[in-house]
Amino acid sequence: MRHTATVLSRSLRRFWHGLREWCGDAAYESYLRSKLTRSGSCRTLTPAEFYVEQLNRRYSRPNRCC
Amino acid sequence: MKRFFVIVIWIGVALLGAGAFGKIAFDRGEPLNATWFVVAAVCCYLVAYRLYSAFVAAKVLALDDTRATPSERYDDGRDFVPTNKWVLFGHHFAAIAGPGPLVGPTLAAQFGYLPGTLWLIAGAALAGCVQDFVILFCSIRRDGKSIGQMAREEVSERGGFIAQLAVLAIMIILLAVVALVVVNALKSSPWGTFTLAMTIPIALLLGLYLRFVRPGRVLEASAMGVALVLFAVVAGQWVADSPAWAKVFTLSGAGLSVAIVVYGFAASALPVWLLLAPRDYLSAFIKAGAILSLAAGILFVRPQVLMPPLTRFVDGTGPVFAGKIFPFCFIIIACGAISGFHSLISSGTTPKMILRESQARLIGYGAMLLESFVGVMAMVAACSMTPGVYFAINSPSAIVGASPEAAASTISGWGFPLQAQTMVDAARSVGEQTLWNRAGGAPSLAVGMAQIFSSTIGGPRLLSIWYHFAIMFEALFILTVLDAGTRVGRFMVQELAGKVWKPLGRTGWMPGILFSSALIVAAWGYFLYQGVLDPLGGVDLLWPIFGIANQLLAAVALVVATTILLKMGRLKWIWVTLVPTAWLIAATMTASFQKVFSSNPAIGLLSNAAGLSAKMAGGLIPAVKIAETHRLIFNRRFDAAVTAILAIMILVLIVEALVQWHLILSRRREPVLHESPYIATRWAAEFSGTAHGDD
Repeated sequence: MRHTATVLSRSLRRFWHGLREWCGDAAYESYLRSKLTRSGSCRTLTPAEFYVEQLNRRYSRPNRCC
Repeated sequence: MKRFFVIVIWIGVALLGAGAFGKIAFDRGEPLNATWFVVAAVCCYLVAYRLYSAFVAAKVLALDDTRATPSERYDDGRDFVPTNKWVLFGHHFAAIAGPGPLVGPTLAAQFGYLPGTLWLIAGAALAGCVQDFVILFCSIRRDGKSIGQMAREEVSERGGFIAQLAVLAIMIILLAVVALVVVNALKSSPWGTFTLAMTIPIALLLGLYLRFVRPGRVLEASAMGVALVLFAVVAGQWVADSPAWAKVFTLSGAGLSVAIVVYGFAASALPVWLLLAPRDYLSAFIKAGAILSLAAGILFVRPQVLMPPLTRFVDGTGPVFAGKIFPFCFIIIACGAISGFHSLISSGTTPKMILRESQARLIGYGAMLLESFVGVMAMVAACSMTPGVYFAINSPSAIVGASPEAAASTISGWGFPLQAQTMVDAARSVGEQTLWNRAGGAPSLAVGMAQIFSSTIGGPRLLSIWYHFAIMFEALFILTVLDAGTRVGRFMVQELAGKVWKPLGRTGWMPGILFSSALIVAAWGYFLYQGVLDPLGGVDLLWPIFGIANQLLAAVALVVATTILLKMGRLKWIWVTLVPTAWLIAATMTASFQKVFSSNPAIGLLSNAAGLSAKMAGGLIPAVKIAETHRLIFNRRFDAAVTAILAIMILVLIVEALVQWHLILSRRREPVLHESPYIATRWAAEFSGTAHGDD
């Protein structure tokens, strides 16, 4: 029983994590984890700055298909 | 022993798929159950993925997991983000799955269920998936370069320029035709128009929340937005029931097209965080939910497929669009089997996020298989409604007759019995004023989806809610394609215009933004408006041109892929991309030729224009219709010119590639690959180093 609960909770956690990554909810966290940000070679953006900058990038090239 | 069981299981899957295919192809008795379609498709996909994609990965591309991918080398947390393969699969699928696999199969159902279903499954496994997979691989090996850049480097400078122009042209036609589908779905429908209109203030609200209240908290904002959109679907019924409000939201085709053009301009010119991005979030969640629900609904309800395997319209006299199975079935199905537009995604964001090369198989090949399955579901939904109703919804009044009685009589005469009262009841049951002549595929698909959904939850009482949910789902993500496409088109126009006058190329300069937005909106708005005014509904005119443009772009992508394989020394396996290329060129060139030059005025644009001119000269056109006829003649000649120019552009690129191939094969030119240099991955120890990690 406990094993099933552990497996279930792990699966749910994975699903939640995947869902956040898929929809962009975890994008800022990924940005903070990135090699370039951690190297400190450029100023780290705030969540609001990152959000706008990321959207401007994403929607300047084909990202939705027919 | 284990290996023996695995082999037995795969033989079982293959036999089951073959049996289901046999049932679909040869059964001529009682209506078929949709389960056969699902079994045939799923077994075929499993075998194709397990065997063919593994062969392409190992032998043709020789994927190498010891090589660092762009996401590892450049990891900047913005463009280059190492991403879990299942998350990236979701990203990639959400990007490639648009209205094409829903609308195309619905229109192609006029031939019967068989030709479209066969092409959806076989075309995807042997052509569409291969294109997406190979282009993704090529882009990964080139730091995520776009198809245009790869064409320029690997084929020729001119080839790259042609690819860029082809992308812009296909984008314009795509945006016009998807906008036309929305117009035809929403005209004279206050419920549908209200629901879709409400998504704009909801998106603005979400945009402000995500920008100023909780930056980047997409999940919580989307949850609120989806709840509000679902409420708007229900509230639409109250609007439709109120005479005063119903009048406000009852718009003609022309009125709706103006509204959509204004919306497209606003979405392109406004900051992306305010309208475009939040609508995209809403659309992504609703699209995923609706597709999963449709799959579950088909499995739960297991509807009967009432359309025959082949209809009389295989002879090219179809009312939905004119033309024989070859080439038009392959052109109309479009994205459900192979889409040139996918090559833009496979050489866009995805290669910059992939963790290792072997995952290109799951993401490139696998996501396209799923898109093909969406197409099969759309085919099932369209074919599970009574054929007479299907033809009544999708046929223009100029063909079936203006009055309900005349239309019912024409359709019954084709062998699909229909009473005028049946359509009145059908419209009433889904909460619409009428379902006659709603060409475009969206309303008939919505009727099919609503029947499946209401058989699962709610019964006939909820049919109207489900119908408008389906219309909202289709229109919402079509408009997402429209606004995202308009914005990208704006950037392309700015890039080209910047070569003429530098300030126009600056993406932050407001006059440049407004000018380029107006230019791109005017371009697709022109095609949209001509479609709205067309007496045959416009879809039969524009969708084939869109299909031709899309498949031509696929031919470009496959020509680039073949050139790269040749340079890699994979001559032995060149047929993997060469055979689909040859098929696509044959289908698209035949379709282009027929659309321009066919002597049948229902197909040939020039002969249609000539027929109208002759009628004008003979005084057979009433005085009040002369201006309209002049416009129709001009539009047909213009569309013929656009189709011919597209075909010629692609032929030039193919000739350029053929010259390259000849020089390489005759050893007169050293094949130069423009791959990024090999860098060993630091994750090598973590990965097994095998190219089959996804099995």
